[in-house]
Amino acid sequence: MKFNWKIGGEAGFGIMTSGLTFSKIATRSGYHIFDYTEYPSLIRGGHNTYEVAFSDEEIHSSIWHVDLLVCLNKDTYELHKHRLTSESMVIYDPEMFEIDIDVKKIVVPFNQIKKDEKIQQQMVNTVAVAASIALLGGDLKLLDDMIHEAFDRKGEEVVNFNLRLAAIGHEHITKNGSQLLDVLKPKENPSKKMVMTGNEMFSLASIPADCRHYASYPMTPASSILAILAAWQYDNGMVVRHPEDEISVINSALGSAHAGVRSSVGTSGGGFALMVESLSYAGVAELPVVVFLSMRPGPATGLPTWTEQGDLMFAVHAGHGEFPKIVLAPGDIDEMAALTLQAYDLADIYQLPVIVLSDKYLSESHKDVEKDTIDKMFAEYIPDRGKIVHDTDMNPYLRYKDQEDGISEMLIPGKEGIYYQANSYEHIEDSHTTEDDTARVQQVNKRNRKTATYLKNHFVEPAFYGDPEADTIFVSWGSMKGPILDAMQLLTHETKKGYGFVHFTYLYPLDEQKIREFFAGKKNQRHILVENNSHAQFGQLLRMQTGITFDETLLKYDGRPFWPEEIRDYVLGVKKTDMSAETPITGTEQAVLAKLEEQM
Amino acid sequence: MSNIQFDAYTPTWCPGCGDWGIRVGIKTALQQLGFDPSKVFLSFDIGCSGNMNDFLNGYAMHGLHGRAIPTAIGMKVARHDMPVIVIGGDGGLYGEGGNHFLHACRGNHDITVIVHDNMVYGLTTGQVAPTAEQGYKSKSTPRGIIEQSVNPLALAITQGATFVSQGFAGDARLIIDLIKQAVSHKGFSLVNILQPCVTFNKVNTYQYYLQKTYKLEEGYDPTDMNDALKRSMEVHEEKFPLGVLYKSERPAYHEQIPQLDEPLTLRQRFTDFSKFGEEFV
Repeated sequence: MKFNWKIGGEAGFGIMTSGLTFSKIATRSGYHIFDYTEYPSLIRGGHNTYEVAFSDEEIHSSIWHVDLLVCLNKDTYELHKHRLTSESMVIYDPEMFEIDIDVKKIVVPFNQIKKDEKIQQQMVNTVAVAASIALLGGDLKLLDDMIHEAFDRKGEEVVNFNLRLAAIGHEHITKNGSQLLDVLKPKENPSKKMVMTGNEMFSLASIPADCRHYASYPMTPASSILAILAAWQYDNGMVVRHPEDEISVINSALGSAHAGVRSSVGTSGGGFALMVESLSYAGVAELPVVVFLSMRPGPATGLPTWTEQGDLMFAVHAGHGEFPKIVLAPGDIDEMAALTLQAYDLADIYQLPVIVLSDKYLSESHKDVEKDTIDKMFAEYIPDRGKIVHDTDMNPYLRYKDQEDGISEMLIPGKEGIYYQANSYEHIEDSHTTEDDTARVQQVNKRNRKTATYLKNHFVEPAFYGDPEADTIFVSWGSMKGPILDAMQLLTHETKKGYGFVHFTYLYPLDEQKIREFFAGKKNQRHILVENNSHAQFGQLLRMQTGITFDETLLKYDGRPFWPEEIRDYVLGVKKTDMSAETPITGTEQAVLAKLEEQM
Repeated sequence: MSNIQFDAYTPTWCPGCGDWGIRVGIKTALQQLGFDPSKVFLSFDIGCSGNMNDFLNGYAMHGLHGRAIPTAIGMKVARHDMPVIVIGGDGGLYGEGGNHFLHACRGNHDITVIVHDNMVYGLTTGQVAPTAEQGYKSKSTPRGIIEQSVNPLALAITQGATFVSQGFAGDARLIIDLIKQAVSHKGFSLVNILQPCVTFNKVNTYQYYLQKTYKLEEGYDPTDMNDALKRSMEVHEEKFPLGVLYKSERPAYHEQIPQLDEPLTLRQRFTDFSKFGEEFV
């Protein structure tokens, strides 16, 4: 069973809160969820939507077909009716608009209720969510519980008023003889699930990771991390700052990193661009820092509240001069938890910038995750600071001592009788500036050796999902994992065949030999490179680092994520669903590049 | 006292450059305050002045042009028990990093910012700096700079700095005194040091400053903001007051962060993290 609930209304209606409430009702009832929001870069007046796909089994992405559409205004219907079929239900108020296609109509007189109860628009959501619960066979008590959680601190009167609104919405459905489903019927003894976005998981994982300084300048879609960590800081001792610009953000993080604390920053492409010179400083001075980069479509201000994987090559190449860095791209919130911990470790072990690459789709979509699993992962985690030490035997101190593995000891400042500098100029082993050719080559080689050490000790090959013998294999990275996994399920259902998926998370640097071995012997299979960008950037990176090329690409760059149905249709070469507003651009990697060259 | 010294490499500055005296001033002030290189954080900007990174020992960062203030703030966040001193020029700290300067004043971050104010960019061979007088001719402004000069003292006072002072490279004793006061001050302290660039600035020479500077008189009250502002505006009449122009008491940035009851670097790892997941259930 998979069911897709969607609510829409004007920005400012409280759509986001209602959507999250619905997600949590589903998980508290024992279901898995994946949700997705769309909103313009406005505070009031635009159109906001929130869709929650829930299922008995784990679900990794959104669903194209909408099973129940809750319309708080006419736009919701008009903008989404192409995703409805005769099987879809629509909750609406005929006072606002009439329905002109074949769907199951469920009338809820929102306007009348609003007038009768003298309530503000935001409160209509409670009615709408309660009506949805009734229609889907859910337990109203779960909504009542959430009302208590949200409003108990505001007093009994507010609580009771909201409970009454919930009852009104619920009763309206049960009394009016609508045909009721049981898709949201609570399961027995549901496990304790958290409903989290990628940003929330990065925030949460940063606590066990022992991040002590997080600095950030607000930029969608990374901003929520700043808000979450800022709220928590008084309880966990982290210092969370919002400096004047992204340049100050990263330089203050480098300052605290030099002084010995794990430090991280978060931003999106534009802010990251401002940090780039400082990444280079981190490179030469060998300062550990974790940079959370949540991509949105550029160039420049682009589409601020939409999604794209457009900054991969920018992240890989960020910074002038040559220095090692590591780029990781989690594919879902479980991977976000593990790779966030890993990012902080790798930054320390290799004393360099580690970029955690996310995007709006991963950063702001919720998925469920077992609380016990995450608690256990965090409890078992012990920070590995590598050669960052509080004490040393060296004197005079050689901060940049030449080492076989490329990694020198980094003394946390404070030990008496010692001093050194984090020098942005090329330097000799004791950190003083130099222009000497031999010293230069020694330090370049030392820094470069970190890459070899990393590839040997920490690089992780891509994960493989599905059937290794399948004749069609997807190749992708980061947040495309969800839509591809769900597309594979659809495809297998349709064709009774297995499919394969090579999922990259350790994006840069890549180990040429390991990756070539990984793909060896898969020559006769159809490989499809799937990316949420127009340049097939991972394809370029893979070719650059390993020489491997894929003939076939499936690219999408309209600001929207892939729908699993879209991937299925592409693979089968049919158009089962009209997703014309979001038609992906397909072709070969070469064709894409040829087109780019033409344009240049 | 430790046996390590502040003296490092022999400076490579031009003979007669004000940087020599400023370096001696910084070193002497720190020594007199009882510090050694293991007990201070230094944040050097990029430029002739920032090149002091190799001539003055300490736990130091020699970062990017214009960014010495944010790196200093980061060090202070991590180790607020150690003094943090920024050493840079007028180009880096008032030009490229001007934004950071004004926001650091607002935050009253407990750092000392020592600015070598010589009105030119020395290391890039003499282009005009933001503190130069309007009309100043340089390689980058052959017909004279169009912009009026930055007024660092007035800027600092109005944006919330709690210790604003001005020295002159020709008066080492004054520099020592000002730096000692600035480092001891809790909050953002500015020591703007007027300094001839003997190689590239033929206008603002030692002679020029000897004529145009004056010491704040005995009895001058640095807690009077209006008076301080008035003095800071004298730059437009080519008058340069020397001494502590302005001083006030306001909690420093780190003092307003309750989780900094002990230095961030030194505290134990926080381990009670499972409760933070509850809000997502």
